[in-house]
Amino acid sequence: MDSLNNALSAIKNLRSSVGHVFEVLANGVQAHHGDDGRDSKFLVQFQELFNNVNLNLREVESVINGLTPPPAPFNLGHTAALAQETTDERQALYSQLVNSYKWVDKIHEYSFLANNILNCNSLRRSYISYSNKRGRLQISSCNNTSPQHVDKVLNELSLNSLQTNYKIWRPFGSNAVVIVNIGRILKAAIVFKGVMIEWVTVKGFDESLDVDDLWTESRYEVFRKVQEQTHSAMLHFFSPTLPDLAVKSYMTWIHSYNKLFTEPCRRCGKYLYNALPPTWRDLRTLEPFHEECKNC
Amino acid sequence: MGVTVLQPYSVPEGQTGPQTIEFLAKRLLALGAVQASTFIVDCETFIPNPQHGTPKTVHVLHNSEYPASTFAVLDTGTKQVPLVADALFDLLMLKMAPAHTSKKQTKIESKGARFEYGDFLIKLGSVTMAENFKGILLEVEYRPCVIPSNCWELIRELLQGFLGVSIPATIPPYFNTPSIMSMNHPKSSEIFNPNHTKQNDVYQPMDTINQYLEHFGNFRKQTMLSGGTGIGAPLRS
Ligand SMILES: [Zn+2]
Repeated sequence: MDSLNNALSAIKNLRSSVGHVFEVLANGVQAHHGDDGRDSKFLVQFQELFNNVNLNLREVESVINGLTPPPAPFNLGHTAALAQETTDERQALYSQLVNSYKWVDKIHEYSFLANNILNCNSLRRSYISYSNKRGRLQISSCNNTSPQHVDKVLNELSLNSLQTNYKIWRPFGSNAVVIVNIGRILKAAIVFKGVMIEWVTVKGFDESLDVDDLWTESRYEVFRKVQEQTHSAMLHFFSPTLPDLAVKSYMTWIHSYNKLFTEPCRRCGKYLYNALPPTWRDLRTLEPFHEECKNC
Repeated sequence: MGVTVLQPYSVPEGQTGPQTIEFLAKRLLALGAVQASTFIVDCETFIPNPQHGTPKTVHVLHNSEYPASTFAVLDTGTKQVPLVADALFDLLMLKMAPAHTSKKQTKIESKGARFEYGDFLIKLGSVTMAENFKGILLEVEYRPCVIPSNCWELIRELLQGFLGVSIPATIPPYFNTPSIMSMNHPKSSEIFNPNHTKQNDVYQPMDTINQYLEHFGNFRKQTMLSGGTGIGAPLRS
């Protein structure tokens, strides 16, 4: 890349020196050449400039010889099609290209900042570290298990429970998305990365939940609350050393929501608090608590 | 579509219907509920003209929660046949005038304010028949849940909380009737299961209509027992 830059600047120098020669020639003999022997002085000046041109030309030649021709034509992707249409007005692409360039630039900047901030966070669950030296992702084994292994873990789970059914999808390559129906109470979509749980979406039994739309929230307050609780439990159960066990305990825990509406709070003995049933399940005993009651 | 439970509320002695409704509305607002528009459920009963075959009564109901639908229940005396149609059904009933005539004086409706409280939907209905106030009918819907037996306790606690009265622990009798759904259920084991009642089925809009029909029937009976309609008189029970 450097040699290409050198070559370009050498060409620029050559152009400017040639331009200078023509400029001097066009101006002809002028007052500053004096009265005596001004023709010879002009000639000397011209020769000097001409030598410059020669020097620059030689430099360009040597730099160009130093360049290695690219092994294959550059792959320009869709931009190659730009050459097909020559009228600027009909393309209207320039401003869009500038915009997208700006966006990409911003994404770089923000992701760099985000990376710095996330690196300070001790709650980090994945072992991804971005190293500048290598410039590539290093993924630990817990995120990078074979799909067969994940299937095996999930199949063991579905054999153990009757009221809960599991459906495994792989819309994003090898990573699994599991849609779980818990009784006739709720549906949950659990997004895996390897055998690690990455995201959970909780919805009501009568709401639609499919793999194309994992991010819209439930229209019911109670399931939005349960989703929050499933996320904090996800952090609790995470274990990089025993990932299979972590998933199994998490599934056991989330299964306890099959009594979401039928069990009163263990602390206050009531079903409702602020119009919500007990949305928290104790991580160890699976006992139901209102969010407000769990810490007192 | 959640589970809906209807609860009649008797007007306390010395108070009028509107006063009681206002009192209950204030209680709801104090709990943190917000009023969200109004509602109406109406019911018109068509009785057959004797010369046209077997006598079958047809109840036609509308629920503002399902504005595009007309609900009809064909009552043979021993069996009730439910039907959900679109609003054009009303015009069809007019065409059937020779066979069925409407008993205008028994046209009954429940209407009033609609409140949202978390995931609950609470409706304070004042029931009127032929413009006469008959009583108060509360509707509580718990929207996230689809199985009545699962959320009856929740609804009961809510009702007790804001009405300040004790509600029987057992689910209303309507939910103990054998489920029609179980007859068509693909799992054959459940067809002959007498314990499979409506409370364990997925709740349907028709269940709300059936409950209204049941309660409207009770209000009409009370009118017949008390011997006519006292104009605007608060109902005692
Ligand atoms: Zn509590």
